[in-house]
Amino acid sequence: MVVYALIIINKAGGLIYQRDFAEGLNKLSINDYLVLAGTFHGVHAISTRLNPLHSSTARSSTDSRPEPPSGIEVLETENFRLQCFSTLTGTKFLLFTEPDQPNVDAIIRRIYELYADYVMKNPFYQIEMPIRCEVFDRRLGQYLRPLNSR
Amino acid sequence: MVVYSFYIFDRHTECIYSRIWARRDRPASGSGASTRPVSDSSSSSNPPITDLGPARARPARLSAQDDAKLIFGTIFSLRNMVRKLGGPEDSFISYRTGQYKLHYYETPTNIKFVMLTDTQTLNMRNVLHQIYVNLYVEFVVKNPLSPVEHPGGEGVANELFELALDQFVKGVL
Repeated sequence: MVVYALIIINKAGGLIYQRDFAEGLNKLSINDYLVLAGTFHGVHAISTRLNPLHSSTARSSTDSRPEPPSGIEVLETENFRLQCFSTLTGTKFLLFTEPDQPNVDAIIRRIYELYADYVMKNPFYQIEMPIRCEVFDRRLGQYLRPLNSR
Repeated sequence: MVVYSFYIFDRHTECIYSRIWARRDRPASGSGASTRPVSDSSSSSNPPITDLGPARARPARLSAQDDAKLIFGTIFSLRNMVRKLGGPEDSFISYRTGQYKLHYYETPTNIKFVMLTDTQTLNMRNVLHQIYVNLYVEFVVKNPLSPVEHPGGEGVANELFELALDQFVKGVL
């Protein structure tokens, strides 16, 4: 069980947090991470438009408000697996793990809780700006280190 | 498990074959969903969307050609992203959204095979590889009348390939 890295993207597609937890992925320059975040943001938006069943899903749910189409949730490659959790406000949490990591949903929810507690409740944090909160860093490390060493 | 559509892109980034099976507003498969150069105007599927009121005023459904371009853009960006992070020999296998799953296979000659299925489908990489080896190579590459490149999809959409693809996909289901 290895969690490689975490990336948080704000609702405009800007990178606001990036941290590696284990070796396994290539190290990129900060510029490349910014490009990567922007690219993913765009691809995520496109993937919502590619729904092959667009018309039928819209019709079946005329009585209730239709679920908005979700973008990329899981991306699988030979070397890693990328889970994307998009909050209702548009912030995206990307978690890079091993290809066969179980329970990524639970991990990402917990990270979201930590974000809500230690970033959003920090009175000095400016919304949509890069996250520089020492307590968040520490708690995140405390949570993920035991998972990685298991 | 349902296969929605299938695309082939050549190394010049052009969509040389596309086939759409399940579109719910049309009876699934067999309807001869015709091949790629036809723009398959799906504008007939709009009315059900518009009566949902202004809350959901999304632009009309894209044409099949635009869909193919968007799919190419998506897989191209994701493939580059994956190579950057996972090393040059890592390759992107699939992604899943709440509505569908996209499977990807690239041959050493840079021909890209893409298949859209429902979300429950497991890994289809082998299936795409089989399509390449048993159908594409047999019926397109080995066809003496087929051109080496396929501008505008010329030479790919021959009868044997279509028929075999249809049977193969039905067999996989």
